[in-house]
Amino acid sequence: MLIFTLRRLNLFIFTMLVLTLLSFSLSFLFPGDPVINLSGQLNSTEQQLAVINQSYRMQDNIIWQYFAYIQHIIQGDFGLSMSSQSPVIDEIMILLPATIELSLVALLIAMFTGIPLGFIAAIKHNKTSDNIILSVAMFGYSIPVFWLGLLAILFFSIGLGWLPSAGRISLLFEIEMVTGIQFFDILMSNSPDKWQAFQDATAHIILPACVVALAPATIFVRLARASMIEVLETSYIRAVKAKGLSFQQIIFRHALRNALIKIIRHVGLQFANLVTIAMVTEVIFSWPGIGRWLIESIYQRDYTAIQSGLLVLSCFIFIVHILTDFIYAALNPLARGNKHGS
Amino acid sequence: MAREKIYQEEVFPSPFMQLWLIFRKTPTAMIGFVCFLFLIFLAAFAPFLAPYSPVEGHLDMVLLPPAWHENGNVSFLLGTDELGRDMLSRLMYGASLTFGLSFVVVIISLIIGVIIGSLSALTKGIKSSFLNHFLDVILSIPSLLLAIVIVAILGPGISNTVWAIVMVLIPQFIHITRYAVKEEFRKDYVLASRLDGASNFRVLYYSVFPNIVERLMSQATLAQSAAILDIATLGFLGIGAQIPLPEWGAILANGLERFYIAPWTVYLPGLSILFAVVATNLVGEGIRHALKLRKES
Repeated sequence: MLIFTLRRLNLFIFTMLVLTLLSFSLSFLFPGDPVINLSGQLNSTEQQLAVINQSYRMQDNIIWQYFAYIQHIIQGDFGLSMSSQSPVIDEIMILLPATIELSLVALLIAMFTGIPLGFIAAIKHNKTSDNIILSVAMFGYSIPVFWLGLLAILFFSIGLGWLPSAGRISLLFEIEMVTGIQFFDILMSNSPDKWQAFQDATAHIILPACVVALAPATIFVRLARASMIEVLETSYIRAVKAKGLSFQQIIFRHALRNALIKIIRHVGLQFANLVTIAMVTEVIFSWPGIGRWLIESIYQRDYTAIQSGLLVLSCFIFIVHILTDFIYAALNPLARGNKHGS
Repeated sequence: MAREKIYQEEVFPSPFMQLWLIFRKTPTAMIGFVCFLFLIFLAAFAPFLAPYSPVEGHLDMVLLPPAWHENGNVSFLLGTDELGRDMLSRLMYGASLTFGLSFVVVIISLIIGVIIGSLSALTKGIKSSFLNHFLDVILSIPSLLLAIVIVAILGPGISNTVWAIVMVLIPQFIHITRYAVKEEFRKDYVLASRLDGASNFRVLYYSVFPNIVERLMSQATLAQSAAILDIATLGFLGIGAQIPLPEWGAILANGLERFYIAPWTVYLPGLSILFAVVATNLVGEGIRHALKLRKES
């Protein structure tokens, strides 16, 4: 496990290097002056500009510039947002939890609907219910997410009026931001109508989270189905069948655990996909998250925001990736050995 | 039964033909394939088939519902949008933008990815490990985010979107080619042709490629469905195809303001995207299914 941890740490450091290198080189690729792209100081005087130049070591060669950039990042200084002229890190700290909240809820929904459906399909392999689940999964995988979001708003918010169509919580509730994750904040606050606020926040998250969850859920269906079929064909399942265990015992005690382990490994890989979908969904549901902010910063040519948004979001995804790797390795001793960079 | 073959020798179909023979037997895959061919045909010949120009407005026929509706007009089969542009013509031209461009995108990134991937499969040690890590990093960035960054560098527009999506798809092709080539290189038939004195390039071209081409095709269909969705998403967000291009995502975004009074301007482009992606996925599913059956037989 120690070697495994060291390997992952090594991979993590390498990844951070490549990601910072990528975001550093973006400041040269974007139109305009690299220093201004890095710092976001649009309206600075000559003296201020000289100070900024000094702090990013622009007079030295490019390697020192890169180190100066890394130093700034480690100190949490991502520069100022070009459109609002406030520090990017503050904006990200407000927006990122909203995205984390949405994507985690969506991930949970996707796992709790997708995996059981996949198992059912595998148990009924090559029968009608298997085919129905597979074809529904195919459609879910193919629907463009923005269209699905619009249809959901039209049907559930405008047509039936069940759920709100935009935002995180009704403006009537005043919740102090502590962690940024809305549900924790509500539970920690001592407002008298805590439970109404909680219900309201839940009603707001259901629709966007379900829209985000659909495509990953269909992928989980396929993964779960494939791994269950594989497990059911192994000889130890045949052995317990020969022992005369009942169907429930075979599935729940033997097959389920071994099939689940294989799926956990893919959760991390699916997360990048899920965040992509969440970005578009945020735009449609006016969810105040980092995806919507990034897309808006393209319209406003806010290069500092794009650069740091890319860095933060991909770091976040990579951390989730590594975490699931750890969980997988902790659950499955076979995965701890061998294989470089896979 | 009369013998048609005079000679005793039997011709074995090539791996590719075997795949086709199995593929042909799955009805859903064939339906998908026919739809796929139809879309390619539409993408290629939209200017000759479309009844009107995609940008020509008929101001006396504004916001006309589809023809089956009681207020519809049969000369505008799928209705018109807020400027009186014929929806059917716009969707047909859109096929060549969204579907046709995604096809081009996949072919470009397939070629580049396969070249880089097969070259990198031949390297070993630190170079190979570095590339592997680098690919992992690129693959962990969400594709849309990468496309957005590239569009931010190049500026909005449909041609820049195409390059952005090509760049996003290349790492996936490198990854799969590299993996497939490495796997084939371990097999005995490669060793046999090596013992005959074949160079690396010759082994790659004559022995390995014919055996991995189906796997690449199956990846290509996945990439194409992703490319269609990405082009449409970027068009929808307003950073891909610009007004007045009839790209499906852009048409949908355009109809958004009048969603409630003219829902067909949103339903129809969405359905077209769905149709294109489902057709592509059915073909891909068919190829994968046939690959599995061929392996088992």
